[in-house]
Amino acid sequence: MAGIERGLGLQRPGRSLLILPDDIFLVSFPKSGNTWTRFLLANLRFPDEPATWANIDRLIPDPTGTAKRVFDRIPRPRIIKSHECFDPRYPRVIYIVRDPRDVVVSQYHYHRKIRKIEDGSPIEKFVARFLAGETCPHGSWGQNVATWLYTSEGDPRFLLLRYEDLIANTARELGKVVDFLHLSAGPAQIAQAVERSSADRMRKLEQQQPDKHGLFKGSRRDLSFVRAASSGGWRSGLPAPMVAKIETAWGPLMQHLGYELSSHSTSGVGEYASLGVVTAAPR
Amino acid sequence: MIKRLIAGGKQFLGLYPPGRRVNVFPDDIFLVSYPKSGNTWTRFLVANLVYPEKNPDFSNINQLLPDIEEMSKRNLERAARPRILKSHQYFDPRYQKVIYIVRDPRDVALSEYYFDIKRCAIADDFPLPQFVSRFVRGELNHPYGTWGENVASWFYTRRDDPRFLPVKYEALQVQAMDEMRRIAGFMGISAGPERLAFAIERSSADRMRELEKKQGHLWSSTRETQQDKPFVRSAKSGGWKVELPEASVAEIESAWGETMRDIGYELAVSGLVHAGMGKGQTSGSDWAGRAL
Repeated sequence: MAGIERGLGLQRPGRSLLILPDDIFLVSFPKSGNTWTRFLLANLRFPDEPATWANIDRLIPDPTGTAKRVFDRIPRPRIIKSHECFDPRYPRVIYIVRDPRDVVVSQYHYHRKIRKIEDGSPIEKFVARFLAGETCPHGSWGQNVATWLYTSEGDPRFLLLRYEDLIANTARELGKVVDFLHLSAGPAQIAQAVERSSADRMRKLEQQQPDKHGLFKGSRRDLSFVRAASSGGWRSGLPAPMVAKIETAWGPLMQHLGYELSSHSTSGVGEYASLGVVTAAPR
Repeated sequence: MIKRLIAGGKQFLGLYPPGRRVNVFPDDIFLVSYPKSGNTWTRFLVANLVYPEKNPDFSNINQLLPDIEEMSKRNLERAARPRILKSHQYFDPRYQKVIYIVRDPRDVALSEYYFDIKRCAIADDFPLPQFVSRFVRGELNHPYGTWGENVASWFYTRRDDPRFLPVKYEALQVQAMDEMRRIAGFMGISAGPERLAFAIERSSADRMRELEKKQGHLWSSTRETQQDKPFVRSAKSGGWKVELPEASVAEIESAWGETMRDIGYELAVSGLVHAGMGKGQTSGSDWAGRAL
């Protein structure tokens, strides 16, 4: 079976994906705005084919969700989705980072949707697993972010975007992507991509295409994948002791990224302070 | 198509080494390092500590401490547990217990240079400065990233984790007993001084050189290489001070100076690390004192 699947190119390449020198990777820890950015980039790069849940795996493929034969037919340069920790093979990387206090809330609700946890499941237990990196196979938030920042920050082939900035000024941040990828898109095209990737449109599409994406398969229909699409929800949704735990674990890294800490319980500021000085070698 | 079917069948039977895609068991211990950082020596030290009755040498080291890039998936999954696995991989969140060997990148560059000559990856007279530039850019024929990437990916994610044991190659040389005691403790092996000393003695550079002379043709890393050039070379640190041109030293230090300083490698070329961001300095030396 495995041989036949391979022969026909039906298998999902995963880590065996053959990486091409002009590939661009859209990387983030899960629940950090990767899907939204995927829609933004798809709508920017392919203006003739508005992104939907039915075609997104073809437009911006996912090595764990898109068949190899599809990968082989995508026009180059390909933009490829990934949640992996640092991988030296990725030639160019757009890395989306999001406040871990919001990420944990988002992941909690997502795990309810995909039936990994029950509705009343205690958030305390979830946060403990989140901190230990046990809620997904891509390391903890801190590990995932640190592997990329410590190896690649400052490298001209690495673009760091904050989810919060994307929310606050989508067009401006998308402009950075246009420059980074040397695309020819002007303000009108950027505005169109933003419009076509709005939370409202993505929610509507989700309702119309509830079975068109692997992310939704077998998941609860009463909860939507596109949730609040905002930042700072942790202020009301996350109990203060949980906020303190996250800030204690990753405070310096959060501060480096400009995420203001609400608790003063963190010590050891400066642990990550050398971050900005790491000069990545030009590859 | 036929080729791909055969490849698919072989993969199905688990005949390929899995490398990065190795199935990880919760009781695995990984011996990780960037290439040319003392991994083979440490492998001998650990093998002689854990399996003294097996007389570890180049003919059986791949069985005792399997290499995820050499042993087939099938054999790896049949290996006795807990497995001690050799790896050069950059950070992998699945690895539970990790012994990470780190070595001064200025010596690593030199060691990789001679090894690449031995295995005919570069010509015997390939200019060293040009090689160092390749080394810094990560243009080597292996998939493990640059020294800076590999080291940073592990240190800045795991340095405070009790399941992570950083070991400096240089410390292993000057205080082998102390370091071996740390390694044994980390692996949960209660070994007295005699057993530690025995493992160190059985893994000495002299003994490994002699074994290599007899068995160089038996070991995957030396099999098809120039047999007149040794794999076990000087087994010393600081060779870069004599052999590496100053411009090459500067090139390495300007690429990875911050990480080097965090680990405790003194920089030779001053003024490379930007002033005004000195905060990293304190945390760096702090950390070097604490963890290494």
